[in-house]
Amino acid sequence: MMLLKTTSEPLLRVEGLSKNFNVAGSWPWQRRKLSAVNDISFEIAAGETLSLVGESGCGKSTAGRMLVGLSTPSTGRIQFEGQDIGGMSAAERRAVRRRIQLIFQDPYGSLNPRMTVGELIAEPALLHGLVDRGGARDRVAELLNLVGLGDRHAGRYPHEFSGGQRQRIGIARALAVEPQLIVCDEPVSALDVSVQAQIVNLLQSLQDRLGLSYLFISHGLSVVRHISNRVAVMYLGNIVEIGPKTAIFDRPLHPYTRALLAAAPVARPGARRAGTPLTGDMPSPLAPPAGCRFHPRCPLAVERCKREVPVLSHAEGGRLVACHRWQEIPAFQANASAAQHSPATKRLLALYRDAATRSNSHTNAV
Amino acid sequence: MNTKASVPHPTKSAGSARSGLFRRLARDPVALVALLFLIVIVAAAVLAPLLAPFDPYDTNLRMRLRPPGGDHLLGTDTQGRDLLTRLLFGARTTLALGFASIMVGSLIGTSIGLAAAFYRRLEGPLMRLVDIMLSFPSILFGLALAAMLGVGMESLVIALGLSTAPPIARVARATATTVMQTEYMDGGRVIGLSDATLIRRYLLRNCAAPIVVYCSLQFGETILLAAALGFLGLGLQPPIAELGSIAAEGRSFIFLAPHVSTAASLLIFTIVLSCNLLGDAFRDLTDPRLLP
Repeated sequence: MMLLKTTSEPLLRVEGLSKNFNVAGSWPWQRRKLSAVNDISFEIAAGETLSLVGESGCGKSTAGRMLVGLSTPSTGRIQFEGQDIGGMSAAERRAVRRRIQLIFQDPYGSLNPRMTVGELIAEPALLHGLVDRGGARDRVAELLNLVGLGDRHAGRYPHEFSGGQRQRIGIARALAVEPQLIVCDEPVSALDVSVQAQIVNLLQSLQDRLGLSYLFISHGLSVVRHISNRVAVMYLGNIVEIGPKTAIFDRPLHPYTRALLAAAPVARPGARRAGTPLTGDMPSPLAPPAGCRFHPRCPLAVERCKREVPVLSHAEGGRLVACHRWQEIPAFQANASAAQHSPATKRLLALYRDAATRSNSHTNAV
Repeated sequence: MNTKASVPHPTKSAGSARSGLFRRLARDPVALVALLFLIVIVAAAVLAPLLAPFDPYDTNLRMRLRPPGGDHLLGTDTQGRDLLTRLLFGARTTLALGFASIMVGSLIGTSIGLAAAFYRRLEGPLMRLVDIMLSFPSILFGLALAAMLGVGMESLVIALGLSTAPPIARVARATATTVMQTEYMDGGRVIGLSDATLIRRYLLRNCAAPIVVYCSLQFGETILLAAALGFLGLGLQPPIAELGSIAAEGRSFIFLAPHVSTAASLLIFTIVLSCNLLGDAFRDLTDPRLLP
């Protein structure tokens, strides 16, 4: 029996979403199927940030593009506020699409260079009838202030701005249609580290003020650790582990998650990498391996992994993990636990500091 | 250290690129001479009714085929009409024909090119059509169309426009394809713009510059084609003054009065040469790196 759930209904629910591309071979009859996203399911609650992490080519951007309507799913359902987007009329879909916006990775290529900042920000609001021509100026000024720019910027063109400022313009443009969910497709990976922090903080403060939900697509784990509530790890089109941030980062269960975390650099000389680094490349999504898609690179793979596809099952910490062996393998030593310098390094650093002060006083004396 | 300062702007503004274009054009003496010559010709053609010393249709058989000098600065033609007047009016007709044709051609060509780039399913059929049109020499194509559509200004413009459209379509498609790959096209889609708005506000605005430059290069070609059709008798019918037909008329008396054909041909030659030189200069000056 179906129960009407009003309060517990998530903002967005994705069920069994897949995307296959038909790739032409050398001859017209040679058509091959590229499985970019394979049967993924997740939910995003109002005001929540879900991060989608994984190597490049794992399908995380394709998943995001399907949510905003840039790409149509091959199979699966996207439900927004309990309504299936696939079964909607064009007009209804347009109204829902307005609620899901996208922030692009490349702040240099994602703004029409022939339009002023004011036109760029006013355009979506005018299109959806949220403001009239007279009110557009005020709305643009308001949005520019919201993202930390001034209304004096409205008359300029995108190329007159830095990368971080352009990303702010992109955010203002996304906010212009009053969305509830914003898909952030690697929004900071093209920016300087110092600017990255500013943009991430802006996204967080906007979330607090406007109650936004984010699907944060990224390969930068430090940013993900900072911004997310929950994390989904993707490998070759599949979600291999999804759960609360602390569970994923502190006690990763899936071997791929472990390898991903172990590969993240630690700012400490002499830090040893936890676990074994992955070898080899990601297999081609044109011919994904049978069984567990991770088995050719998994250090813990057994015969069963080559035959049986693991399904996402509940595990400790409120997470889901898709691995046959997660219960058998030893606990993961997170890099963070060893963030202290070794005694030898401490002595060395003290010597450096000592030498630096001495050489300074020496040059001052001469 | 501020690392921002060393990052160059990847794109220049439309405004500064345009003003820079004219500044750099001024430093190219050949292009500048061509530009000045064209301005003079166009001004003379536009002001022909005021400048011309005689009536272009006033025949005087006793004064026919007079050599240059005297009352008639460039002599007279086979009907005794003042050649300078005829050339001024002829340039007016030919330039207007060329301009109207390049407008029609760029409209058709740009539409085909943008449609092929925007709707990937149309790309194959549309571009194969363009390939077929390109496989005929444009003079043959124009000839066939002019013969098919009959004589008259409209049919001539359509014939000339259709024969200039294919290469413009190719350039438009190539430019539009690169623009289609940019993220701002996706950005326009995400906010829910219709295809028509996307094409007009996003695609066309960003491919306009290379297409305009290419059309300026094609302008000379079109004028040459218009004159060639006139010379072959498929252009406008006499007594309308048109550079190609003036050259054709003088051809029969080329040994008796070489000035008629020579003057008309020289005028065609210099107009086309100036157009080509100017178009080349435009192409070189709009460095692709300056085009976003």
